[in-house]
Amino acid sequence: MSILEVEHIQKVYATRFGGNQVQALTDVSFRVEQGEYVAIMGESGSGKTTLLNILAALDKPTRGQVILNGKSLSMIKEKELAAYRRKNLGFVFQDFNLLDTFNIQDNIFLPLVLAGESYETMKSKLHPIAQQLRIEEILHKFPYEASGGQKQRAAVARALISGPQLVLADEPTGALDSRAAGDLLTAFQEINEKGQTILMVTHSVMAASRASRILFIKDGQVFHQIYRGGKTDEELYGMISDTLRVLATGGDRYE
Amino acid sequence: MSRGFYFRLALQNMKKNKRTVWPYLCTCVCSVMMYYFMSFLTLNPGLAKMPSGHNVQSIMTMGTAVITIFSLIFLFYTNSFLMKRRKKELGLYNILGMEKRHIGRALFYETLVSGAVSLALGLFLGILGSKLVFLLLLKLLSFPVKLGFFVSVKSIVRAMALFGAIFLLSYLNNLRQIHMANPAELLRGGNVGEKEPKTRWLLVLVGLLCLGAGYWIAVTTESPMEAISYFFVAVVLVMAGTYCLFVAVSVAALKMLRRWKSFYYKTSHFTAVSGMIYRIKQNAVGLANICILSTGVLLMVSTTICLYVGREEIIAGRYPQEVNLTAYRADDESFQKIEEIEAQTLEEWGLTPINSMFCRSAQVAVLDTGDEMKILSGDDNPAKDMGKIAGVAFIPLKDYNACMGEDRKLKPGEALFFANQKKKDGRKELNIDGERWAVAEELDDFFLEKKVSSPQINGYYLVVDDMEAVVRIAKTSNIFEGICYQKSYNLSGDPTVFEEAERQLEESVNQALEGEAYVHVGGRELNRESFYRTYGGLFFLGIFLGALFLMATALIIYYKQLSEGYEDRRRFEIMQKVGMSKREVRRSISSQILMVFFLPLVTAMMHIGFAFPLMKRLLALLYLYNVRLFAVCTLATIGCFALVYGVIYALTARTYYRIVN
Repeated sequence: MSILEVEHIQKVYATRFGGNQVQALTDVSFRVEQGEYVAIMGESGSGKTTLLNILAALDKPTRGQVILNGKSLSMIKEKELAAYRRKNLGFVFQDFNLLDTFNIQDNIFLPLVLAGESYETMKSKLHPIAQQLRIEEILHKFPYEASGGQKQRAAVARALISGPQLVLADEPTGALDSRAAGDLLTAFQEINEKGQTILMVTHSVMAASRASRILFIKDGQVFHQIYRGGKTDEELYGMISDTLRVLATGGDRYE
Repeated sequence: MSRGFYFRLALQNMKKNKRTVWPYLCTCVCSVMMYYFMSFLTLNPGLAKMPSGHNVQSIMTMGTAVITIFSLIFLFYTNSFLMKRRKKELGLYNILGMEKRHIGRALFYETLVSGAVSLALGLFLGILGSKLVFLLLLKLLSFPVKLGFFVSVKSIVRAMALFGAIFLLSYLNNLRQIHMANPAELLRGGNVGEKEPKTRWLLVLVGLLCLGAGYWIAVTTESPMEAISYFFVAVVLVMAGTYCLFVAVSVAALKMLRRWKSFYYKTSHFTAVSGMIYRIKQNAVGLANICILSTGVLLMVSTTICLYVGREEIIAGRYPQEVNLTAYRADDESFQKIEEIEAQTLEEWGLTPINSMFCRSAQVAVLDTGDEMKILSGDDNPAKDMGKIAGVAFIPLKDYNACMGEDRKLKPGEALFFANQKKKDGRKELNIDGERWAVAEELDDFFLEKKVSSPQINGYYLVVDDMEAVVRIAKTSNIFEGICYQKSYNLSGDPTVFEEAERQLEESVNQALEGEAYVHVGGRELNRESFYRTYGGLFFLGIFLGALFLMATALIIYYKQLSEGYEDRRRFEIMQKVGMSKREVRRSISSQILMVFFLPLVTAMMHIGFAFPLMKRLLALLYLYNVRLFAVCTLATIGCFALVYGVIYALTARTYYRIVN
């Protein structure tokens, strides 16, 4: 069953006085199945971030639609959008986006508090997630006291705690050293194995090679995709590298 | 590089930072203008020539001193605040290859331009507005309005010297800040990693103790004499308490709220409580400053307005009748002389006394322990028992009956008793230096004094049967020697000559009796002018300094909003990303901002509330006993202030939202 359907999305940015038009996304279509772990790759300026913003309902497409779990995002009223996002989507950002005025635990609680849950419920939801992500010791520390890897795992916990349909990750390893990045990717894999659907935008071949499917975007279109299909991480790494080389040298479209 | 380059760079910088530079320049201009006004009034020869103009000018001298000190501290503080905000910009210049001395040169031109603009514009507006201010003062003092224009060169020179020095100091401080820091530090500037504030229990304790002690003094001090000596102690305690309150107590309280789980984890409290902890930390001192300035404005304006509005009442309280003549150390013979001169003077001016009252009395100062009143002599030093000192006057029954038109009788050892406090004294017997008097009746009214809620000094009157006793008592104390003769009456005749007649009476009586007795002639008309000048001058000063402090408050609030805005922008973005709607974020932030800015106002009002009893007693020292008038003045002042504060807040909040969005 498809959890996310992206149908013929186009996004055109107009400069302020309607002068030059820039086409960020030309025509993007793909589906994500329940329990999939999809990585989207592409160079800077390929429209990755625009796509992610549209998927997160932070931005609206010029044409086409996004259907999450059978419901079109464009049908949701502006007022309910924040609540909808809170309930159905989890976000992980490159720069963590933890609030420095909260300790780690309160940062993770934030979406639940906004949804009006009681302290006991939150505590019981937090426990398994914190254990899985190995952040139990730092729950009462403040963001400035935690390392980058810990902060990012806390951000993942925040994304997971409301039990979202889909986790959207924007360059989650971008600000981490290779060890912390490896830990995080392992955590993602574990989470995915428990059935969580994840969609990750990334530059890193290393990160992409851990996913179950990789989509390549170039010039605002889905250019190519690779399925894992039983290959090991290393094999997948090689295939991604090759694809990227072809992309960079301006090769024509091939399937 | 050419000279013109730094000058242009300085101008460009000022234009670029106009959000912060404009208000600062405006404040500088206003400070210069107000300084010129005050200095102008102090040195105005027209004012000096007016009757009791010197009184007014000495009040204005005080005002000039306040403005001088205030401008120095406040402008210096504001400048260093602006400098802190600009560290990043200057760090960038440094990294782009400007040496520190080049930056210093650019800053020099900036200071020069701001100084020149402030002085030129401030003096221009000052000279232009000085006539208006002068007319306003004359109106308040009920002086006749004089035409003509006067420019005080001395004031201009002084303003230039003072503000030149302030700008020079600011410049030197800026240089010091640049030279101390390295480029990387400059670049990082304001946003050094945020740590959660610690709860400083010692400060919490000190703060609560100071505040409690200050309030306790204000509320429990009964005697106005003590009120004077304790007033400054209370002020210092409350100021210290206010700083601790904002710095430590608020953080402690918020952290306690955070520990209260079922309260803290509510949508509406969650972000507010944790956000407030940081906000308070960054703004504690600024908020305490706002609070103290506001309290100062409120106290000053409410009391001076009250004195000004109540000046007729004060005169009436001070002088129960039109003419009040008191002769100390007199005897029957010398008093007769006085009465002769009096009759002659009044006749000359075509006036006749009406409702004339006359009585003799023996006045003593006593230390009232409740059981006994010990008569004090001039050698006693009762400083530590200030509150127990009372005045007792012995009056012969004959004089009392004559004044009241009654025919009372008393047995030897009995007395009619009157106490000037509002509540009944209730003593049945008085023991004065071992001599016992049975109270035949405690009177509710007395012709010499009215009952008031907080008299300057507790006063008791004993009407005794026998003149002998009065004479005997008079000899026991060496403070007020001999019998005191008091005579008071209203005048009938042409009211316009009252003042001159009273003046002549005072002069001729004092001339005739010099060395024989000490005579004080208190006339309402004779003194009205000086009351008007003094209270009018104080009122003017109150309003003027009130305006100055209000301007300072407004500026601090504005800069707080600005820095809050820059801090919040990032927080605002994150909250939206993790699933708060724009409306929720805005509501949460605006409630925090509202709390932060109205906290000082509420605290100031609390201070005023506790200061009220103390101020009431201080006003009693100035013969203003009308507590209701004072309450009305205080409430009106608070109302106006809250309104202005709200308007300032609303205006500055717009800047805040513009930054955040």
